[in-house]
Amino acid sequence: MLKKTSISEISDLAAQLMGKGALIAPVREEAGFNFREISDAKQVDLNFYNTIISPKSAFFPQTEDFVRYQTGKDILEATPVELNIKPAFLFGVRPCDVKSFEIMDIHFTGTGAVDPYWQKRREAAAIFGYAFDLNTPADGADFYSTLGIGAADPEGSDVFMIKKGDDLLLKAITPKGEKLLAEMSVLSDATPDDLNYFDDTVAAGRAFKTRFTCVEAKPIAKKFEDLFGNTEFWEKVSNACLSCGACTFVCPTCYCFDICDETLFGKGTRRRVWDACMFTDFTLEASGHNPRTKVYQRLRQKVCHKYSYHIRKYGPISCVGCGRCTRACPVNIDIFSIVDEAMKA
Amino acid sequence: MCLNNPYIPMPVEIIKIIDEVDTHDIKSFRLKFLNPEDEAKFKYLPGQFSELSIYGKGESPIGIASSPTQDGYVEFTVQRAGAIVPGLVTAALHDMDEGAKIGLRGPLGNSWPIEFLEKKNIVVVGGGFAFTTLRSLINYMLHKDNRSRFGEITVIYGARTPGLLLYKDELIQWEKRNDIRTVITVDKGDETWTGRQGFVPAVCKDVAPSPANTVAVICGPPIMIKFTLPVFFELGFSKENILTSLEMRMKCGVGKCGRCNVGYKYVCSDGPVFSLAQLEELPRDF
Repeated sequence: MLKKTSISEISDLAAQLMGKGALIAPVREEAGFNFREISDAKQVDLNFYNTIISPKSAFFPQTEDFVRYQTGKDILEATPVELNIKPAFLFGVRPCDVKSFEIMDIHFTGTGAVDPYWQKRREAAAIFGYAFDLNTPADGADFYSTLGIGAADPEGSDVFMIKKGDDLLLKAITPKGEKLLAEMSVLSDATPDDLNYFDDTVAAGRAFKTRFTCVEAKPIAKKFEDLFGNTEFWEKVSNACLSCGACTFVCPTCYCFDICDETLFGKGTRRRVWDACMFTDFTLEASGHNPRTKVYQRLRQKVCHKYSYHIRKYGPISCVGCGRCTRACPVNIDIFSIVDEAMKA
Repeated sequence: MCLNNPYIPMPVEIIKIIDEVDTHDIKSFRLKFLNPEDEAKFKYLPGQFSELSIYGKGESPIGIASSPTQDGYVEFTVQRAGAIVPGLVTAALHDMDEGAKIGLRGPLGNSWPIEFLEKKNIVVVGGGFAFTTLRSLINYMLHKDNRSRFGEITVIYGARTPGLLLYKDELIQWEKRNDIRTVITVDKGDETWTGRQGFVPAVCKDVAPSPANTVAVICGPPIMIKFTLPVFFELGFSKENILTSLEMRMKCGVGKCGRCNVGYKYVCSDGPVFSLAQLEELPRDF
């Protein structure tokens, strides 16, 4: 099913979605765009390149409350925080970010213990993917082509959206998307010309190139295994690193978290918060031992996790080439260049 | 674990506290589940661990020191941390009295590979405080229903001083049995000590267990491991037949929080038990 709407009337579509659940879409903020829950349909603005922070927070928020407790009271009085999850629409997700959900699914719900928070939020959400504008060159930091992701790949989305002049084409990709589009009375039917345009754009998206180097999962995993002990390599690539963790916070596939108790005046919450392997005390043990005290060891951990460990453990590379970490890095460390250099090392 | 949520602890009561050593910084805590259904679900094997949870302080991953053959409670031996890093949970635990209630998440991790150990001779080597899950394994193997499943059992256990030996009553019981060889050593004895003196690696060399159909299970401080491994190589033990248990900083305990990896393995969910052969495949990042 292919539907369309005029982009000038996008707030009508937004309003209709808001009537069915939470609408989470890129919103223009002071520093750039970020995904937020929309409170006013007019906030929806499709004139963005990509968001500063990835959309992972829709399923894995920066803080997640587990339990409320009172110190000095019986543990039996502590109450798990109810997961009050309503249907959500994640609107305007770029194809590389859509791919990140699939990578995170393997970790959070596909293997071993199931993370109930990720699982329930993910089930309750519909993804409205959104093709990059092929008439605009890719940002210099992006390298999703390297990871085999097209600029207009609909896979993984429930509904996939492509801009056509002043119109927005919306195609149902999954049964969930099919049902949703059928319920959206503000949409009109697309023409055969629109359908051709949609298919042509998906194809052109595959030919659209960001920065590119030839990377395959298994060989790169092996390459980094061999490079692990090459301290000279790691010291060189991490030379400028400040260990600030910004790269991990904007990353769509970084999932490390801390669990901490926050108590104020006897009342507290146990919650998880995003954490980063770039921080010194991330691996500090109670004995005082810390296996990763040096910056190069931590940057090595981050890069090897994405391009080696994750592949050995789960299969795919844990990077989608969205370019966020490179844009966010205050000292211009670029994971693409590290991977590229590793290939040559 | 609580209702399909691996992050929510189950309530337990401390029914007994045992002061294990003369420095009073290692205590064993016997815990009883407050909900019978939690107790029924808590099926574990020696070598597994749990997160002990105190709201307002946090959680600590601690190896299970009791054996699953012991009914009615689950026991943890906990050292008060804090010499270098503030140990909020262990300090709070040490300040608690019998009857106090805490939380528990588990059982977590893999275990000593019981099926692999069956029909083999077992040499258990422990040093200092790292004897807890070894003690669980020993008591498991010594249980009357299990003893015939294993070959000869040799235990080599050392501590710095006699007062730092854990589970003294059990050590005495094991020494009296004829189906287990117990070799206890201390780095330095006192005026009452009549047993062996010497470091664990030297004692292992002295005891010289045969590698034939034998698995060595070794836990101890890094320095002990470092000098004990060459002894076992020299005796002819293969890397597949030397097992140990790793420690890393942990949070979730279920392979989600990304904290305790060594290479592509999470110590909490893929470990903590690894053979030396498995460890040699991993990067030296621990």
